[in-house]
Amino acid sequence: MDAANLEFIIQMLEQDTDLKEKIKDQVTEFDKKTRTMAGLLNKIHSTPTAQLPPLLDSVQPILASCTDITAVIAQLVPANQFWRWKDMWCNSLRSAVFSATLIEYLRSGTLLTLPQVGGILGIHPEWADRFTLAAEDYLHGLISLVNELSRLAVNSVTLGNYEEPLRISAFVKDLFAGFAMLNLKNDLLRRRYDSLKYDIKKIEEVVYDVSLRKLAPTPAK
Amino acid sequence: MSQQATLAGRSAIVEVFDSFRDELDEHNDRRERLIKSSRDVTNLSKKVIFLLHRIMTDDASPEDQDDRKRAARAVIKGRDKLKEIQNMFAGFSHEVKGDRFWRYQRAVSPGLQEYIEALSFTHYLDTGRLVSYDEVQKSLSDNEGNQYFPLPLEDYLLGLSDLTGELMRFAISSIPHRGGRAKANEVCAFVRNCKADFEIFVPHVRDLRKKQNVTSQSLEKIEDAAYTVAVRSSEYDLPPEMLDDLVSRTVSSVHGGDGGGSGRRKRGREDDHDDYDD
Repeated sequence: MDAANLEFIIQMLEQDTDLKEKIKDQVTEFDKKTRTMAGLLNKIHSTPTAQLPPLLDSVQPILASCTDITAVIAQLVPANQFWRWKDMWCNSLRSAVFSATLIEYLRSGTLLTLPQVGGILGIHPEWADRFTLAAEDYLHGLISLVNELSRLAVNSVTLGNYEEPLRISAFVKDLFAGFAMLNLKNDLLRRRYDSLKYDIKKIEEVVYDVSLRKLAPTPAK
Repeated sequence: MSQQATLAGRSAIVEVFDSFRDELDEHNDRRERLIKSSRDVTNLSKKVIFLLHRIMTDDASPEDQDDRKRAARAVIKGRDKLKEIQNMFAGFSHEVKGDRFWRYQRAVSPGLQEYIEALSFTHYLDTGRLVSYDEVQKSLSDNEGNQYFPLPLEDYLLGLSDLTGELMRFAISSIPHRGGRAKANEVCAFVRNCKADFEIFVPHVRDLRKKQNVTSQSLEKIEDAAYTVAVRSSEYDLPPEMLDDLVSRTVSSVHGGDGGGSGRRKRGREDDHDDYDD
């Protein structure tokens, strides 16, 4: 190989390795934050409804601090190379989507849109070719949300909240109807989507149990 | 941004997912198209490589005896075919504009690597050197120098790494020809250098380690062939040109007799091909 070519390649490889290290540092931080949030949010399964707001408030600052991470990564990634590097942080990002949407659901019973989650995580639309929230990652976050809500349906009954399963059931069914609109390929998203039916079944069983025993108000409303 | 309303109720959610569907469909369709294009590129590239081998081993007519002339002919025909492939890249460059390229890099990569293998083989026959990154990128640009897409370093290196396998076949099938033993030694030295250069890149590029192992095997095959030639020629105290004449006279004397003495050697050559037609 010509010396100039060899030199050039080594330089490029070192640049890439350097960049990878820098991104990895950010992802490690990102991962810490999302794990802390998931850990705190795990307490929703043992927290009575009345005490939920302070718990959610305690997660909020961590969620807000994710904007620091996204800003640094957006700065690191070279123009047009978003898709080259995104695999490095997509797990953390999906987890952040999950936390953000779970908090919103617990507060208002509604679903955060993709642009809203992007806004919460401080992702600027003009970064699109360097850092963005892809539909795929948003959808993965939503599937995690359904997984979590099916557990919450069970545990809320244990805590004596018999209405929550009904609310969850309605919300999850709406979401499922949304997912049913998609033509999914045979990928991870598809497999996780297929698993949603087990979550729905679990939620339905809880609804059945509480309805049968007249523990919850009849869902006539 | 978070001012707009969150989604409540089925119709609102379904509406949003409707647009996700369009987005995902567009993405999947584009990916499929690119995979198809990549496959076409792979096929054409393989044909270029076969074409080059065919021309280089075809010395039936007397004017083809000179192997530099054969190489020149192979290069012209090869470049011609490569142009077709470059046009294919130009044809789908609009699909991979801007940030899209890296989204579909994995779909395009197999064809791209095969193309680089074909291009580098042509380049080797032409110049006796390894095609440089810049030269490959330039071949993937229009006349004004606008790139069809950025050439990923990994694809460049992995494509080049496959060249050693072709050079092994080339060297071994050259041996029975006039000047072929010298050629084999030349290729052997070249492949040895490639292997040494590539060793540096192994820690940086995924998949390169496996290819390095294949390169090592190819190199060993060429070395074994060179050894056999050296040992056998040492039994005759003749200059190489006279040995060439001796061999070619023997080959031509049995040529009418449908193989005969050359049959064994020929079979040996085909075995080597089989090993690498994976």
